Amino acid sequence: MKKISLLLGLLFFSSVALLAQRSITGTVVDDSGESLIGATVLVKGTATGTVTDVDGKYTIRVGADDKILVFSYTGYETQEIEIGASNSLDVTMSSGVTFDEIVVTGQGVGMERKRLTSTVDAISSEQLELAPITQLDQVLQSRIPGTQVRLSSGQPGTAALIRNRGPISANASTTPVIIIDGVRVDNLNSNPQLSVGTGGANSSALADIPVEAIERVEFTRGGAATTLYGADAANGVLQIFTKKGEFNKKTTFGYDGTVGIMQGEERFLRWKETADLVFDPGMVQQHRFTADGGGDKVGFSFAGSFYDDDSFNDINKQRRVSMRAGLRAQITKSLLYETSSAFTSNWFNRDYNANTSFSRYGNAEGGSYGDLSSYTAGALDTLRQNLQREGELTDITEAVRRFQTSHTFTWKPFKGFTTRAIIGLDNRTSRQRNLESNALLIAKGSVGEGTADQGFMNLSTRSFITVTSDLGMQYRADAGNFSFITSVGGQLFREQDEQYQIIATNVTEGSSLVSNSAEQTASDFLSVIAFGGFYIDENIGYKNKLFLNAAMRWDGNSAFGSEIGLVNIYRVGLTYSLTDEPFMQASSISKYISRFSVRANYGQATNFPTPFRRDRLFVADPYLGGIAYTFGNPGNANLAPEIVNSIEAGFDASFLDARVGLSFTYYDNVTKDALFTPPSAPSSGQLNQQVNSGEVTNKGIELQGYVDVIRSKDMDLTINASVTTNENLVASSGGAPEFVVGGFTFLGSFVKEGQPLGYFRGSRPTFDAEGNLIEVEANAALGNPNPTAYGNLGLNFRWKNVTLFGSADYQSGASGVAVDDVLRYFGGVNDPGRIPENSATASFFDLAGVWVEETNFFKVRNLGISYNFPLPAGSTLSRLQVGFNMRNPLVFGSSSFDPEVTGAGIAVQNGFGVGGFGFGTESAPRQYLFNVRIGF
Amino acid sequence: MLKNKFSWILVAAVAVLSLQNCEDPSTTFEPINPDLSESAVLGTSQSAKRTLDGCERQLAEVYNRFVDLVEVASDNYDNTRTFYNQFLDILNIQPTDADINGVQFEIARLRELANAGLTVIGPGDPAFAANDEAEFLFFLGVSHLLAGELFQSLPATAGGAAMPATDHLNLAAGYFQQGLDKATEDDTRVSCTLARARALYHLGDKAGAVAAADAAIALNTSFLREVQYDVLNGTFALNEMQNAIHDRGTFDDLQPLPRLDFLDPKYNDQNAAKDFNTPLLKIEEAHLIKCEAAIADNQLEVAKGIMNDIIGLVATRPTTTFDDSTEDRIQGMAGIRPDSTNVQVAASPGAPLRSGLVLYRKGGPITVPFISGTSVTAPMIDAVGTADEALELLYLLRQEIFIAEGRRMTDMGVRLVVSEVERLANPNIKESDLTPVLPPFMDAIKTEIDGIDYDAATGICTIKHDLNKVIVANKASDFVCPFH
Repeated sequence: MKKISLLLGLLFFSSVALLAQRSITGTVVDDSGESLIGATVLVKGTATGTVTDVDGKYTIRVGADDKILVFSYTGYETQEIEIGASNSLDVTMSSGVTFDEIVVTGQGVGMERKRLTSTVDAISSEQLELAPITQLDQVLQSRIPGTQVRLSSGQPGTAALIRNRGPISANASTTPVIIIDGVRVDNLNSNPQLSVGTGGANSSALADIPVEAIERVEFTRGGAATTLYGADAANGVLQIFTKKGEFNKKTTFGYDGTVGIMQGEERFLRWKETADLVFDPGMVQQHRFTADGGGDKVGFSFAGSFYDDDSFNDINKQRRVSMRAGLRAQITKSLLYETSSAFTSNWFNRDYNANTSFSRYGNAEGGSYGDLSSYTAGALDTLRQNLQREGELTDITEAVRRFQTSHTFTWKPFKGFTTRAIIGLDNRTSRQRNLESNALLIAKGSVGEGTADQGFMNLSTRSFITVTSDLGMQYRADAGNFSFITSVGGQLFREQDEQYQIIATNVTEGSSLVSNSAEQTASDFLSVIAFGGFYIDENIGYKNKLFLNAAMRWDGNSAFGSEIGLVNIYRVGLTYSLTDEPFMQASSISKYISRFSVRANYGQATNFPTPFRRDRLFVADPYLGGIAYTFGNPGNANLAPEIVNSIEAGFDASFLDARVGLSFTYYDNVTKDALFTPPSAPSSGQLNQQVNSGEVTNKGIELQGYVDVIRSKDMDLTINASVTTNENLVASSGGAPEFVVGGFTFLGSFVKEGQPLGYFRGSRPTFDAEGNLIEVEANAALGNPNPTAYGNLGLNFRWKNVTLFGSADYQSGASGVAVDDVLRYFGGVNDPGRIPENSATASFFDLAGVWVEETNFFKVRNLGISYNFPLPAGSTLSRLQVGFNMRNPLVFGSSSFDPEVTGAGIAVQNGFGVGGFGFGTESAPRQYLFNVRIGF
Repeated sequence: MLKNKFSWILVAAVAVLSLQNCEDPSTTFEPINPDLSESAVLGTSQSAKRTLDGCERQLAEVYNRFVDLVEVASDNYDNTRTFYNQFLDILNIQPTDADINGVQFEIARLRELANAGLTVIGPGDPAFAANDEAEFLFFLGVSHLLAGELFQSLPATAGGAAMPATDHLNLAAGYFQQGLDKATEDDTRVSCTLARARALYHLGDKAGAVAAADAAIALNTSFLREVQYDVLNGTFALNEMQNAIHDRGTFDDLQPLPRLDFLDPKYNDQNAAKDFNTPLLKIEEAHLIKCEAAIADNQLEVAKGIMNDIIGLVATRPTTTFDDSTEDRIQGMAGIRPDSTNVQVAASPGAPLRSGLVLYRKGGPITVPFISGTSVTAPMIDAVGTADEALELLYLLRQEIFIAEGRRMTDMGVRLVVSEVERLANPNIKESDLTPVLPPFMDAIKTEIDGIDYDAATGICTIKHDLNKVIVANKASDFVCPFH
C-alpha cells in the first residue's frame, strides 16, 4: 500500500507548463430570450467549465490554445462556438436534444455524455431549487429514475433506504458510495454496531450530510462505475459537486428561508385516536444565507444554514446548523486549486419506536390499549395524559458533529493533458444517549411505584473518519477521424470507525452522568479498512458518433483474505449516435428524430468484505468480573470481494425538436462470489463465517421519458415519468443452508437459493369454507419484500413567472408484514376479516401467512408553486422568489400499514436491510412549507 | 516560475501522503485487528482458567437459548400470545425451527470449548491444575447430558453422525466419572457426582443413580450449583427465561399453569444489573432420584420418608419478596386467567379443588421461591396410599422444584430433533434424524397440554390434563419414568 501511495505521489510531480489566459464573459438565453440558469459552459477538450448564474451570465477563463467553447443545457442543442478575439460571447440555445450533453463523470475529468457507454443521471441546481431541501435523501427522491428512495421512518435522524436496480448483496446495505467534491463521506445508513436501541429507528449518516451550496449531483449506477471508483461501488456512486464561486463575478448575497409546519401522517393509522394521543403538529424552519463571487483569480462561495423543527409528535425536536465554504483559485495559469469545507452540528431527540414495549405509538397501534375507538372521551383523555407523561420523561437524544474538507488541484501543463489530484476527509462523531429514569419506568408500567434503583442509561459514541486521496490523469488526442481519451489514475482511502458504549445501571434520579450510577460497563468496537486501487481507461471515438470504451482496474483492500492479492475488474462498452450520421442530418427525418443513440456496456463492480472478518479469532468476554475465552470468528484466508457483473444496453432518443424524450435500458446484474454468512453446522459450535459462496441476480428494464406538452414564451408544461422493473433472485447459495437476515421467529426474512433476497418465510395456513384451519404449510415462501416495479412521475408547469411542480413515486410487486396487527391479535383487537372466526384461537405462528400483504403504493412527494417577482433594472435585488411546497401531501397504499417503513430491518451495522415489516413506526410526516429566496 | 509550481505540487503531494498517515504509520494501510488472535491465547498463563470461565459463560448461553423454549413445550407455561416460540407450545417440533437449531449450536459450542480447554488450551497453560481438568470434564459431561435430555439424537462431534440420547447420556456419565477422579475441590466432586446421578437416572440405571445420589448427599446436604448470568455483558449471557416470565414490560409474559402460579416468576427483574441464576444442579435432585427408585422398588414408606425430607429441604431454600404489580394474568384480554387468591384449582376435570395456589399480584409485594418451591405438604404425603399415587406426587414435586429450569419437557418424554441446518451442512446426518417421535400419550393431547377452563365468576379453574397422572399412567413406556 505504501508503494501505491508513493507511486501516486510521484505521478503528481510530473511535468509542468504554463500558458497565457484571459476571461470570456457572456449571457446564455433560450429561443424566447429568457435567461438560462445553470447552463454548462466548457472549454472543449479540457475540464475547465462553469455554469451560468441566475441571469444566464457566465465568465470563463480560457488559454491561448483553447479554440472552442461548448454550451449545453438540458433539453437544448449543445453548441460548439469558436472563441474569437472578443472577450464577450453571448449565446442563444435552441431546443433540440434530450438530457444533459456534458457531464463530469466523477473523479476523473469532464467527458461528453455521448462518449459514455453507461447511464449517468444528473440533477442540476435548478432542479434542486424546485423544492426546499433539508436532507440529502430529499435531493434524490423522485429525481433519479431507476433509483428508489424509501422513507423508513418519520423519526428524526433517520434517512431513506436508497436502492437501485434491486438488492445486489446479502451482506451489505444498498446505500451508494457518497462522494462530495471527490472525497468519500460517511454513508452509514443504519444504526452503528454499538447504539441506543429505540426499536427500529435507524440513525443515519445521510441525515446530516450538509446540503448547502450544491451545484450539481450525479448518480452512476452499479457496474458502469467500476473503472472510476472500484472498491464498494457496486451500489452505485452518488457524487455531489459544491459551489466554489466564479472568477470576476460581483459578489452576490442570497437568503433562502423556509417556514412551515409538519404533521403526522394518518393515512395508515389503525385508529384515528392514535393521532390524538401522540401526534402534535410542529413548526419547521430553515434559514440559509449565501454569498458568492470572485476576483480575477479567486472565486468563493459561502453558505450557512440553520434548521429547526419540533416534529409532528409531542416530544421530538431537531436542530441543525451547517456551514460550507468553497474556494477556487487560479494559482498559476495551468494550476487551479479548488477547495470546500463544511461543518454540521445536528441534535435531535427521539421517541421509542416499533420493537419495544415502550413505544407509545407502537403500543397504541399495536392494540396494547385495546380498541381505541371504543374509548370514551374521558378515558381517551386519561390515556393521552398518561402518554404525555411518558413522553415528557422520555430522554433519548443524539448529537452529531461533522466536518468535511476537500482540496482539488487541477493541472493542465499542455493542451489535452489534465491532471487532477484530490485529497480530503470526512470526520463524523455522534453521541447517542438513552436515559431511562425510574420515573419513566414507573410511568411505562415497567416497575412498580416507589422504585428508585432501576435508572438505566446507554451512552454510545461513534467516531468515524475517512480520508480520500485521488489522482487522475487524462490525455486527449485526435488523429483523423479518431479521437482518443486516455485516463489513468488511482485512489487511496482509509476508513476508521471507533465506537464506545457505556451502560450505566441504577443511575441516580435527576442525573444524566454515567458517574452518578451504581454500576457501569463499557464496550468498544473498531472497524478499519484501507483501500488502494488504480485504473487505466481508454475511450476511442470515431467521427464523433461511435465510441468504444475499455477499462481495467486493480484493487487491493485490507479486508481481503491473506490469499487474495489484487483484484482485477474490467469494463468494455460501445455507444453509437445515429443522429450524428450525415445522412440522418441531411434527411427530413431529422425533423422528427432529434437524437437517437444506442449503447451497450459490460462492467464489473465490487463490494468489499466486512473488515476483519477474514481473521481467525478468539473472544475474551467480560464475565462476572473476569475474562471468559471462547471461539471467535473462524477466519477465512480466501475472503474476497463480491463482484457484480453487469450487462446493460439501451438507447436514448428525443423526437419532434426534443419535445419528446425517451430513454431505455436493459440491465442484467449478476453478483458472483456473493458474500454470504450462512449458518455453520450447529455441531461445529463455531460462529458463522463470511464466505464468497453465493450468486445473486437482478435483471430488468429502465424506461424514462418526458413530454414537453407546451413550450412557448409564456408557458411551459413538461411531464416526465419513469418505470424500472426488477427481478431479484438468489441464483445460488453455494450449497449453504438458508439464513435469516431480519424479521421474527414466526415470520422472518431469509436468504435461500431460488428465492428473492430477504424473502418472507413462515407458515401458510389453509382454511376450509367454514374458515377452519385445515392445513399449515411450514416454512412457506410468503412473499417478496423487493418491488418488481417502481418509478417516478413529475410535472413542471410555468406560466410567465409562476412555476408549478409536482413529483411522485410508486412501487408494485412487493409484499410486507403487518406486524402491528399481530400485536393487535395478542390484544384481541386484530383487524376484522383477516383471520376466519373459526380459526381465531389458532397459534399465530401457524397463521403467519395471513399477515403478509401486498405493498403497492403511490406517493406524491412534492407539490409546489413558486413565483419569481419581475425586478426592475438596477434594482438592488437580483432575485425575489416566493413559494409554497407540500411534502408528502398524498399517499396511497394497498397495505394496512405504511409500505415504506422498515421496522426490524437491519440486523447489523451497514447490514442488508430488506424492510417490509410494518411495526409501530410513524410514517414520514406531511409538511407545508413557505419559502422565500432573495438575491442581492 | 517552474520552481514555484513544483513547490505547490510538493506541498500538495506531502499533504496527500501525510493525511493518509494520520494514524499509526505502520498500520495505516495494514490495519491490525484489535481482537484476540489464536496465538495470543494458546500457551499463555491464565488461558485455562479463562477458558473455564468461558465454559461457565457458554453454559449461561446454552440456558439462555433453551430454557424458555422447553418450558413452553411443557405444561409449566402457556405461551398465550408472545413472540416466544409458539410451535413448541403445541409440541409442533420441526427440524426447521431456528430456535431448536440455536440450542444445538450452543450445546455443541460448550462441548467444543470444553474439549479445546481439555486437549489444547489447558495443556499449554503452565498453571493448568488437576481440578481445572476436572472442571473441563464436567462441562464436557454437561454438554452431553443436555444433549441427551433435550434431543432424540444429536452429533457428538463437529460434523459427526447423530448419536441417540442414550449414547450422549453414557458419554456424560463417563466424563462425570473422569471429572470426579481428577477433582481436587469439593464443589467439583459434588458437581460431577450429582450430575452423574442425573445421567444415570435418565439411563434407567437405578442402582448406579442411587449410589451417586447417596454419594452426592454425603458430600453436601444443601448443594447448589447454578448457571451464572452476566446481564451487563452480552446479549446471550442473560437469563432469557427471566425476560419471558417477568421482564417484558407491558408485553404479555408467558403464563404459568395455574397450579404453579405461586412459583411464578421464579426470576424477577428487581435488579437491573443482575439476573437471577438458574439452578443447574441441586441436592433436591438426589433425593428425587432416590425417591423414584424407592417407588419403583415398591418401598412406599421409604419413598414417603424421602418426600418429607424433600419438602423439609425445600423449606430451607430462600425466597424473594418483590412488587409484581406490573405483571398480568392475561390471554388476549386481561382477567381471563386466574389472578386472585380466591381461585381454586382442579389439577384435572373432577380432581379436588385446591386453594392457595394462585397469587394476587396487585395488592402489595409477593413472595416466590427462586431455588426450589413446592405446594406439597406432609399431609398430602401421608395421604398417599399406592405406588402410583406416590409416583404422581413425586412428579408434582419434580415439576414444582424444577419449574423454569428446563427440565419438565424431558420428564414428559418429549425430545427435540436434529435441525435442518445441521443436515444441510453435515453430510453425516440422515433424513430420519429429523423426524420427531412424540410419546403417543402426549401426541394425543399436544394442543391442550397447558389448557385450562376458568370461570372468573366462581373462581374455579380446571386444568384440562394432569400430566403427572398421564405420566404415571404410562410409566411403563420407554419415554418416561426411567426406573419403571
